[in-house]
Amino acid sequence: MNQSKAVRGMSRLSIFILALSLFVAAACSNDADGPGTVESGASGQSKFDLKFEKLDTELTPEPGASLLIWESKEARPFVEAIMKEFTELYGVEVNMQELGTMDQIGKFELDGPAGLAADVITTSQDHLGKAASAGLILPNDEFEEATRSEHEDVAVVSASYNNRLYGYPIKVMTYAMFYNKDLIGEPPSTIEEVVEFASTFNDPDNNKYAFMFDAPFFYFSYPFIGSAGGYIFGNNGTDPADIGLNNDGAVKGMEVFAGLRKEILPISAGDIASDIKTTLFSEGSVAMNVTGSWFIDTFRQAGVNFGVAPVPAIGGHDSVTLSQVNSWYVSAYSKYPNAAKLFARFASNKSAQLLNYELTGAIPTHMEAARNPIIQDDEIASAFYKQFSASHPAPSIPEVTSIWVPMDAAMVEIWDGKDAKQVLDRAVQQIRDAIALNARQADRPTAEPDSSKAPF
Amino acid sequence: MKTKKHGPTAALLSVLLPGAGQIYNRQWIKGIFLLALGMVSTGYFLTVLPKAIRGIVTLGDVPSRLVEADGKTVSIPGDHSINLMIQGLIVLFLFALYVLFYANVIRDAYRTGRDRDSGRVPADFRHTLIYIHDFKFPQAMLVVPAAGILFLTILPIVFMILLAFTNYSSPHHIPPGNLVDWTGLDSFAQLFRLKSWSGTFFGVLGWTVLWAFVATATTFGCGLIVALVLSQKEIVLKGVWRTLIIIPYAIPQMISLLAMKMMFNGQFGPINQYLSHFGLGRLPWLTDPYWAKFTVIVVNVWIGMPLSFLLVSGVLSSISAELYEAARVEGAGRWQQARLVTLPFIFFALGPVLIIQLAGNFNNFNVIYLLTNGGPTNPNYQFAGHTDLLITWLYKLTLNNNIYNIASAIGIILFIIIAGLSIWNYRQTRSFKEEEMAQ
Repeated sequence: MNQSKAVRGMSRLSIFILALSLFVAAACSNDADGPGTVESGASGQSKFDLKFEKLDTELTPEPGASLLIWESKEARPFVEAIMKEFTELYGVEVNMQELGTMDQIGKFELDGPAGLAADVITTSQDHLGKAASAGLILPNDEFEEATRSEHEDVAVVSASYNNRLYGYPIKVMTYAMFYNKDLIGEPPSTIEEVVEFASTFNDPDNNKYAFMFDAPFFYFSYPFIGSAGGYIFGNNGTDPADIGLNNDGAVKGMEVFAGLRKEILPISAGDIASDIKTTLFSEGSVAMNVTGSWFIDTFRQAGVNFGVAPVPAIGGHDSVTLSQVNSWYVSAYSKYPNAAKLFARFASNKSAQLLNYELTGAIPTHMEAARNPIIQDDEIASAFYKQFSASHPAPSIPEVTSIWVPMDAAMVEIWDGKDAKQVLDRAVQQIRDAIALNARQADRPTAEPDSSKAPF
Repeated sequence: MKTKKHGPTAALLSVLLPGAGQIYNRQWIKGIFLLALGMVSTGYFLTVLPKAIRGIVTLGDVPSRLVEADGKTVSIPGDHSINLMIQGLIVLFLFALYVLFYANVIRDAYRTGRDRDSGRVPADFRHTLIYIHDFKFPQAMLVVPAAGILFLTILPIVFMILLAFTNYSSPHHIPPGNLVDWTGLDSFAQLFRLKSWSGTFFGVLGWTVLWAFVATATTFGCGLIVALVLSQKEIVLKGVWRTLIIIPYAIPQMISLLAMKMMFNGQFGPINQYLSHFGLGRLPWLTDPYWAKFTVIVVNVWIGMPLSFLLVSGVLSSISAELYEAARVEGAGRWQQARLVTLPFIFFALGPVLIIQLAGNFNNFNVIYLLTNGGPTNPNYQFAGHTDLLITWLYKLTLNNNIYNIASAIGIILFIIIAGLSIWNYRQTRSFKEEEMAQ
């Protein structure tokens, strides 16, 4: 009732936006039985030839073991199905508690040592460094070899910290370009083609845009840095002293990025709101929309006739996105570490990943699962998989927390017309400052850190 | 004379053994009860106090670590610095209570002994209970809430203050895999000495102060004007107007602020679409540093005005009509009536409320966080944007970046500013001065 008061007197657009955001929220909550999922497993019939059997290991669950799992709401159908299989085979009772993957480490930091947290948690590598260096999780030792050989390299790197494998990869997440097939038949493969299309399609007065992406967010603007040779941290994302965000490639890519404001998307960075972008794409005002695989259901339910293609090549280089891998991690505080390790392995092997794809649309990290013909034939899943194969995994070292804020600010400034080189240099200096400030005392230079010499 | 020495003897006995003095005074039940309590507490503190003090001084020696055993990695638990600090604080607080208890037991023994010296018979247990019930009832009732305040309010505050003097921050000083250490005033030094931090701190502080004063003045001023206008006799349909004005107050702030955020979107927001429809240019409501500051203040007026309006209306209705009549007889016009009767009345009644609103605006988290989230970004700031207040910056430092020590240092400074300003302000108000006079 209050909501209806809030929107009284507002224009149609904002009502629509508000309604849509509620709708999106609702849509997210019933992924399970939405039309987006491929052949719901409710009937017990699967398209895949799924076999669940005991793992080939000497590890046995502790007597009387029971496990608590943390996973996000979207994953519930899969987790419930796999829990059932696991309990049947091992006689270990498993319970799931809903908790968003981004919130788990924060809660785990406090609840873990207090003995209140889950035995197996799910998170992406953004939080791995923190969890591993704080001693919150156990390494994946028992199944290390198998995990390394069966999963994509990118997934294994993402689940490792300090050359040690911690995670049991579940699924990959990245973004790609959704395009509206009714508006553009063939997805452009280069940014130049996008510019060309935009000159015929754009009509700002009626809010029609050829191509939209979340320019103010470094995560989504990363292709402009990564494609032409930029990177976050050197040495596969493990060396915080080697920051590649202002190298020549990054600067060139950012110049292309800045040019898009004039040629494709004449909106100031602060006004590019993700929810508005979603609305416009859903109502057919935007032809191409760069966003994550988690939006597939939203667009299906909005009735958009869409396809997915890799982000167009930038400056002649194939686009490189940032990707994350969600993995299971076993708590260092688990009372039943063996059972927890078994579950983590069991719920990430080939059959589990196929089941996960079937129930929630998750894109597998397991190479054999990913090469399954059914997934290969799924146009959308395979497009995301293709983009994922050409992606940089987000670094897992704890220093990565220092990059987001300065880089988001840099994206806004460059988009709004400041000199790319200058802005990037300053952002990198800020990142170095933040890292130096937070460094271990022993590592810290005895004199004052260089921050006082920073140019501001 | 032996009979004259009961007081000191009882006190001395209680010093040696709490409760012994009471037993010596023949208060058997009370004595045994205190004796038992004293023994248990002494035993408890003998075992935990050294550990607690050691824990709070060192904050742990060995972090928890992973060890290979039989080809399997197991986690060996170590010291959790933050838990050690909290546990240490709890024990120290309990110990302070015990010391207080001990002192009172000794005092009680001495007084009872002295009473015996002067020939009075010590109260027996039943009489003690009756005495507590009859004369110390309020104090007895307050024990539970006082303990609650001590452990649920004061202890966490002390804990948070202590954090400012440690290096508890991400990524390298997060327990239990790492230890946290005392670093003295390092956090404050970082905040003031490192240019990137001090620049942010003073920039954000300046805007916070400006925001607090302007936001308070504008919301109160608008509420006052609207209330005065609506109180005029000529206004019809007063109920309707009042309802309309109260509506923003009835909507949950989160919803109205998110709706506002959409409305002020520079490209797609209806406000700019109307402006361009009438041939006027679009304004960068939330994307330009100056306009964003203007926008948050305007939106804050919309949200905060109804409360001021309600308060002022309330005061207006309590002003006696005779005052106005007297003023009219003296020949005062409307303007003079407002200036000489209405306004002094309102400011007298609402002075303290204004100060609370000012203090509240220093920490006005919702409006900033939901409307701009501190944006537009300021590349010269550390983890803050142009419209970030100290409180939203603090939130970002703690929840997004886990730099607890700096956040705690900022929190302490913020507290000193607000408390100082509020006390000073409050002492300046007339209501405070008149209260003093009345006493």
